[in-house]
Amino acid sequence: MEVLEKNIMISLAENAVKAALNKGAQDAEAYVYEGQASNIGIELGQISKINRIIDRGLGIRVAANKAIGFAYTNIVEDPKALESVVVSALSSARAGKPDQDWNGLPGKKPYAATEKTFDQKIANLSSEDLVQLAVTMLDAAGQVDKRVFPIEGAVGAGYIANAIANSNGIAGFDRGTVIECSVATVAKEGNSVTPVCFEFNAARDCRLDPAWVGKEAAKMAFSALKPKSVETKSGKVILTQFALQELLTYTLINAIRADSVQRGQSPFKGKLGEKVASEDLSIYDDGLFAGGLRTGSFDGEGMPHQKTPVIERGILRNFLYDNYSAKKDGKESTGNASRAGYLSTPGIDTTNFHVLPGNKTSEEMLSEVEDGLIVYYLQGAHSSNPVSGEFSVVATPAWKIKHGKISHCSRGIMLAGNVFELLKNISVVGANERQIGQLISPWIQVENVRVIGQ
Amino acid sequence: MKDLLTKINNIAAQKFGAQYAEARAQKLYKTALTLKEERVEAAKQGIENGVAIRVLVNGAWGFASVGSFDWAILEGAVSDACRMAKLASERLKTPVKLADTKVVEDQVVSKPEKNPANILMEDKIKNALAINRTSLGFNKKIKSCTVDYFDLTGSSFLVNSEGTNVEQDKLYVWARITASAQNEGVFTFSREEIGSTAGYELFDEQVPEVLGEKVAKLAIEQLTAKSPKGGKFPVVLGPNVVGVFVHEAFGHLAEADLALSGGVLASNLGKKIGSNLVTFYDDGTIPSAFGAFKYDDEGVPSHKTLLIKDGVVTGLMHNRETAQKFKTEPTGNARAEDFRVEPIIRMRCTYMAPRDQKFEELIEDIKAGYYFKSFRGGQANLDGTFQVGIQEGYEIVNGELGTAVRNASISGSTLETLHHINAVGKDFMLDPGRCGKGQTAFVSDGGPHIRLSEVVVGGSA
Repeated sequence: MEVLEKNIMISLAENAVKAALNKGAQDAEAYVYEGQASNIGIELGQISKINRIIDRGLGIRVAANKAIGFAYTNIVEDPKALESVVVSALSSARAGKPDQDWNGLPGKKPYAATEKTFDQKIANLSSEDLVQLAVTMLDAAGQVDKRVFPIEGAVGAGYIANAIANSNGIAGFDRGTVIECSVATVAKEGNSVTPVCFEFNAARDCRLDPAWVGKEAAKMAFSALKPKSVETKSGKVILTQFALQELLTYTLINAIRADSVQRGQSPFKGKLGEKVASEDLSIYDDGLFAGGLRTGSFDGEGMPHQKTPVIERGILRNFLYDNYSAKKDGKESTGNASRAGYLSTPGIDTTNFHVLPGNKTSEEMLSEVEDGLIVYYLQGAHSSNPVSGEFSVVATPAWKIKHGKISHCSRGIMLAGNVFELLKNISVVGANERQIGQLISPWIQVENVRVIGQ
Repeated sequence: MKDLLTKINNIAAQKFGAQYAEARAQKLYKTALTLKEERVEAAKQGIENGVAIRVLVNGAWGFASVGSFDWAILEGAVSDACRMAKLASERLKTPVKLADTKVVEDQVVSKPEKNPANILMEDKIKNALAINRTSLGFNKKIKSCTVDYFDLTGSSFLVNSEGTNVEQDKLYVWARITASAQNEGVFTFSREEIGSTAGYELFDEQVPEVLGEKVAKLAIEQLTAKSPKGGKFPVVLGPNVVGVFVHEAFGHLAEADLALSGGVLASNLGKKIGSNLVTFYDDGTIPSAFGAFKYDDEGVPSHKTLLIKDGVVTGLMHNRETAQKFKTEPTGNARAEDFRVEPIIRMRCTYMAPRDQKFEELIEDIKAGYYFKSFRGGQANLDGTFQVGIQEGYEIVNGELGTAVRNASISGSTLETLHHINAVGKDFMLDPGRCGKGQTAFVSDGGPHIRLSEVVVGGSA
């Protein structure tokens, strides 16, 4: 199915805004989404299915007497359905109660250019091309060791476009592509099965290394065989990007959202300008990062994406704002209103959460650890206390580092502590950055982490 | 709708030679609310219509989904699905086959006392406000309270090339309440979820004011709780924690697709992996339970599936594809979140069967241990490593409940831990929840109180 043209998507949004104003809305904002994706599914080591998903829809947010209503539909071809979605949004608003803090929708601001977010080559890929990538990845995984099995995986390519319009004159359109491949592996020996090991590549342009993904996932599972126990004590831990993403999503990222701060749900309240982390740590929220998975020219409310310093050399610099929370604090939106397609109202989230790299390679980091652990994957991070930052998670698996070398794998190790203490105990930030979800980060070494062995 | 879906299947079979074709349509209407500190963030309504087409050609799957009932678009989608299946089949080593199942023609009508679609948005807001207000007013130390409310009504249609034709009403009512408290630099957080497939009458049982107070109390109590000691301890788990333990530590391993993917259960069918006290079910037939339904998204009637009996693994949860691989019957566990995605094996209501002991008997012999009453989250790995984070917990000292503990978690290997269950209570409770496996599914989990002779407790003290 052909994708919707830019002018069609913008006029769908503008017409919905006009209709809402005509029916008595004080403010109106319409968001139009289109996603088309193809996905090769791998199950039990073989390509067994191909999926194609086309999803389009429009969501409209209106204010009537300072009360907010929202409605969406996935039927965008039918003018009647569009009219009824406007009516639904207004009736929802009128059912609600006024919000005295509502100070309208944002106004128009210029957008910066983005780099490497759209690649026609991805949009042109055929299912055959994607199958070929999957075969390359599986072959590479299969060649590592016969005890390793690629259990599941996927190769997918997608096109996403969104348009936004509001009653203050915002009219924006953006489109992008993404391609990814991933594989999960386990290794089996006798009755022992390793935890699931996982590797992936994701990119906005057509740069993907499926052979590397297959090989790395298989090597990881292989090295997780023959586990040994470790002792219970506090010590050095290197967290890789997978582990960091798990740990930070539910704690640090919650703490820097302006709405969390305003609602007393952040330990960072009142701490702007104070030292909250090790001097080695600098983090920017960068919605314009070239080729970033969350890069785009504007956010879910049509505010321009920007680069916002969050922590600089350990000092807390800024919180992340959407329009509503910014107006409440008398500030400007930082372009952090995020949407789940057309199905939801915007909420505050990071764009690309960029931990600035240091200058040590992964080899240097490992070689300088006399006694410690390296943790790839964590289990249970979502059960952390999002307000206090306290966590108690399982490393599945972790590898013991002895005299600068990885000595053996260990399973079922628990790590416990507080993320905000952990930030202060960072001793090394590596140079090996990569993006996983919203996080762009290198490895990070932390001192004095409570490790509970089996 | 039946004719439209049949036409899709006919094209797949006649034009592309599909061995099997299935067209699933939905017409759903959702309303949702988020309230924060008595502020209605947005009152939301939405319509989601669409069709999912799944075909099996030469032993491989093709799947296409579109948010439209337009014939030209559907015709394109079914052609796409068939061509993609054909392409996938080219490198297939083991072709997919489906277990036989009875052809079903049925219409399932839900009969709610109070249909959420007929409740005014004003009343839903009033109800959510009452929860929000009670929680915030409970204690000055409560700093925030969020109420998320959601309901879904509508119909789903399934027609397959074997003649199955099922129309089912869908109805879900769900709410989650979270509160945070703060005092002297200590931050706590609590959560409660309710849900039903019966109707809006859920709120007649779950009185808003009682709910609000319950969540607030949990957050306040944690303020003065201490950190648990890390290490191995005897513990007693409440039904809420047992539910998530059964779901995470065992349930996922008993999903046949994960068992096939190298999970530890495939090689343990028929073997004893737990104490005699361990009997688990996954049951899709409990009336009005969150996660119960009459037919799954392959048109297979929902079963009450026995997974472990007296410590011996007796069965797995299947769709038609895995049932064929294991030479058994499909159990009605194939569920798709919506038309955008294909059905996969999901749990329904997963629980441990009760036995005969009283709560007092479970704790009386424990000199130093913990009682974990409700959970914050849980996760499992195919190798049988599980983790459950605890929201409400207490020390047990010399057979009696002691001080509250906060931010504890338990973890271990499922296959070892099931042997450590040495006492099971006679009470029983089922709690609603949502499970993520790429797609979200509404489920229930539960059981009685149980005692574990030992488990690793993750604590920072």
